[in-house]
Amino acid sequence: MKRVKRFTSVLLICCMVLMSLAGCTNSAGNTKPEGDIPASAEAMDDANLSEIEKIIKEAETMSMEELAKKAIEESKGKTFYGVGNSSRGKTAIPLFIDYLKTIDPSYTMEYEWQQPKNNKIFDQLSADSLKEKGTFAMTLIQDGNQIESKMVQTGILKTFIPMEWAKANGITTDDYKGYLPLQTLNKVFMFNNTGSAVYKNCWDFVDKDVHALYMDIDSEIVGKNFLYMLTQDKYAAWLKEAYDALDSTKQAYFKPVIDEVEGDAEDLGLGENGKYALAWIKLWVESYNEQTDDGPICNTLVTKSAKDQCGLLVYSKLRSVEESASVSKNNITIAAYQDDYKGIGGYGYCHYLFVTDNSPLPWTACAIIAYMTCTKDGFSAWGKDMGGYSANPEVATATEAAYNHSKGGYEDGKNVYDCKNDRGYDWWTTTGELVLEDPEYCSSVSFTVGSWIELLTKYSAGSDKK
Amino acid sequence: MNRTEIKKPSRQVIVLNKVRAFFSKPQNTILLLFGIVLTLTTFVPVIAIVNDTFAIHPGTIDAHLTKKVTGYSVVNYVDLFTSRLAKSNLWTPLTNTVLLATFSCIVSILYGGIFAFLVTRTNLKFKKYLSSIFIFPYIMPQWTLAVVWQNVFNSNVVTGTSNGLLAAMMEIYMPKWWCQGLFPSALVLGLHYAPFAYILIGGIFRNMDANLEEAATILNTPKWKTMLRITIPMVKPAILSTILLVFGSSMGSYPVPHYLGLTTLSTKYISMNSKYTGEASILAIIMMVFGVAILMMNQVSLRSRKSYTTVTGKSGQISKIDLGKTGKSVIAFIFIILTFFTSIFPIISFAFETILPNPGDYSFLYTGNTGNLTSKWWLTRDNIAEKGMYGQQGILYNPTIWNAFKGTLYVAVCCALLAGTIGTLIGYSVSKNRRSKWANYVNSVAFLPYLMPSIAVGAAFFIMFSNERINLFNTYALLIIAGTVKYIPFASRSSLNSMLQLSNEIEEAAIIHGIPWYKRMLRIIIPIQKSSIISGYLLPFMTCLRELSLFMLLCTQGFIVATTLDYFDEMGLYAFSSAINLILIIMILISNSLVNKITGASLDKGIGGN
Repeated sequence: MKRVKRFTSVLLICCMVLMSLAGCTNSAGNTKPEGDIPASAEAMDDANLSEIEKIIKEAETMSMEELAKKAIEESKGKTFYGVGNSSRGKTAIPLFIDYLKTIDPSYTMEYEWQQPKNNKIFDQLSADSLKEKGTFAMTLIQDGNQIESKMVQTGILKTFIPMEWAKANGITTDDYKGYLPLQTLNKVFMFNNTGSAVYKNCWDFVDKDVHALYMDIDSEIVGKNFLYMLTQDKYAAWLKEAYDALDSTKQAYFKPVIDEVEGDAEDLGLGENGKYALAWIKLWVESYNEQTDDGPICNTLVTKSAKDQCGLLVYSKLRSVEESASVSKNNITIAAYQDDYKGIGGYGYCHYLFVTDNSPLPWTACAIIAYMTCTKDGFSAWGKDMGGYSANPEVATATEAAYNHSKGGYEDGKNVYDCKNDRGYDWWTTTGELVLEDPEYCSSVSFTVGSWIELLTKYSAGSDKK
Repeated sequence: MNRTEIKKPSRQVIVLNKVRAFFSKPQNTILLLFGIVLTLTTFVPVIAIVNDTFAIHPGTIDAHLTKKVTGYSVVNYVDLFTSRLAKSNLWTPLTNTVLLATFSCIVSILYGGIFAFLVTRTNLKFKKYLSSIFIFPYIMPQWTLAVVWQNVFNSNVVTGTSNGLLAAMMEIYMPKWWCQGLFPSALVLGLHYAPFAYILIGGIFRNMDANLEEAATILNTPKWKTMLRITIPMVKPAILSTILLVFGSSMGSYPVPHYLGLTTLSTKYISMNSKYTGEASILAIIMMVFGVAILMMNQVSLRSRKSYTTVTGKSGQISKIDLGKTGKSVIAFIFIILTFFTSIFPIISFAFETILPNPGDYSFLYTGNTGNLTSKWWLTRDNIAEKGMYGQQGILYNPTIWNAFKGTLYVAVCCALLAGTIGTLIGYSVSKNRRSKWANYVNSVAFLPYLMPSIAVGAAFFIMFSNERINLFNTYALLIIAGTVKYIPFASRSSLNSMLQLSNEIEEAAIIHGIPWYKRMLRIIIPIQKSSIISGYLLPFMTCLRELSLFMLLCTQGFIVATTLDYFDEMGLYAFSSAINLILIIMILISNSLVNKITGASLDKGIGGN
């Protein structure tokens, strides 16, 4: 025992000494002052701009072709590393290389595109940001909340707005203060229609004994952002409207929960309809059936045996379903496509593009970003699928013309799979009542509404079954 | 009177001679060298993660509570232990973790130990087949059994998903406790680690000197008494080793509880890491504390151990228990059935999954129509046409899968060679210097990383090697360092166990004949304990091939097979993950056969497979 004690004491002393040393290094080596979190890092003089920011500023005045020439100059024969939440980056880069070859046929570039799962992309970018010259030239990233608090406020990622993208949106690069979205993706409510269950209102998805399939909100944080967004006045009002449209029996079922959270809504400083949002969130968290990914959710819902099951999942997952004896896309109904459906139809979140502040190939990164956001070919890796909408109106129009997603369910002129007829961004964000992610709002309520959500008890599959 | 003056040697000469004498024993050099290296590789990552528990991380709870973006604070400890979330973030996962580790130990020791006894000490039938097939669950990634469990027992009625095989074919709906939670997690992990118990306990059974048992037989001691008083105490070191290894491994298992819906410290670590980064590091520290506690218990038990010499060079005969004419066949049949479900069925299920039109779509079974089968998952050459491929090329043409295989092989071979060699040398040296405090320290420090849950070790290495000076994230170097440090105990433990059985007389005889150390090792010690030593190389190799918990924080998916496999599993693309599993199993079987052909030893053969 004496030896064990001695060993433990020595270990503890070593830990304390090394920790204090590490502490010294950190405080001495870190150039950022200790203090309040800065509200915004954008009001900077040109003199204070980092090298990458200077390049971005210059790049924002260049056309696609000028950027392409700069990229050729910078990256010819080199290797480009990108990291993103979407695997399609890997498909887009060879198209970009082909484009550069139309300008310089001798151009070559090796590339590697990594797609970390869960939340690892933030760890990876944070770790890479510690190097003087990073590995990753750019990123395509989702989850506005964490982007704001971990990547932008800390100066790890920088926004580049291509001139042509701004022009297409009727603005100038200086006017635009947000992040650059490549596309908006939608997660939509859908259900298996082989049984008798009816989902005509968004409150039906949180009704008694309903357990919608949904990705765990702790592993895919955009799922949590959806819940945060519901508390914003606009979306809370949508929930109230949907509640008002319910019959009296259903209203009576939900009313006690709404009353129960009314005080919390006030404490959290939410608007007048905040209680409807909190009630829906509470019922959702306490009822949804946690899944590892949207893929398995889709696989389940299209199966005949999944009678009456419902879920909230990425719309484009339906693209990969193959018809068989027990699986069919026609086993699915998109809730919002029903004429008499009331309430929110799903959730829209963005894939944003950024240049890393220690990018080894910043010009090439800017050129790729411009290519992805300003050309139909650059966006084709994503555009060929339904449920992903370019943030560039010109590219969006060209994409729809090329792939005709609004009639994606048609075969030989016949409407065979109605669920695949994508009604488009404009429809979804208006009639379809798609809740849209607002990074700043998510970030602002992350530790208020977010902490409130964490206190709820998540549903465990089968806990109400005998 | 003339006095003969004896010249007193100077202090320097004495020290020099002492140093020379010290280094003349190879075991001392080995212990000194690896003692220093392992201290650094073990404790520095631990210190890095302790540091992380105090550091403030932008965008997380500590930054929110302190209103600072940098610096240090104890707020993570305060919040984790005292906030309203303490129960869900700490106490419940902690309880589940301990229960999971305990039950997994019980299952693996009972199942593996009984099987080891039957194979080595009885006249059981079909030993060769059973011995080979028994280790399959360990070869396969641990969550594959969990995925198979889901595919068989899930149902729309109970788990709210599509029907698994049992519900779809026979309308049998298993209860919730059977489908998800502690029971299936412990059972799956126990089955996964049972080969571990089989290999370690079986190794001792096989090499055991029969003199004591024979003496007991001559003295007319009843069989049960011989078993309780002689046989089981002789295998006590192996049982203890198994408990140590299985407990630590189960604690740090991420994928099994993740798939089977049990909240443990590992799953909580991952889910908390985005918003509660510092608090997640505290969870990793708690897991490590368990590792240290187990190590201390082991130290206490080691001190109480008497001699466990089982190989003396005097007798190699083992008396086998007769199970009877019916007994030997019936018991063999029971094990054939059991191993079918744990080893063969998953493989059939994997193979079948790769020809289904959609993941989990068993239309062919209901209809018998071959139109409901496909070869697209294997043969699709391009990823331009969708064909229900989720944007992936077929397995045979998928560069992500094959690059991951190359990467995995590289990491596994390097880790096996490094961990196997270092571990064997440490095991040998510790056995030679058993009474030395330094030897005990080296033994402990070499073993400590294994007792620390994989996910915690991975987190520590991630934090340590992601800084301004050294940034090894997503490099093979980092995976090899982490893998080697983590797997040295496989080799050191198996080497130490076997060396402790080895009587000193054998090596002493060679020393008297002036045989140099390396020759003694190559010609005497290694050949005698070949099976244990080769296990020390094969176990890191096999474990590395499908290790996820340790590596998941250190690289991205597509870098190695395990992360790729997990990615496909999580995405629900079971055709890809099943194919990778199949290829993995084939690869390991080929490696095992190659080693068998070249060295005459193999993982199971060393125990009782032949």
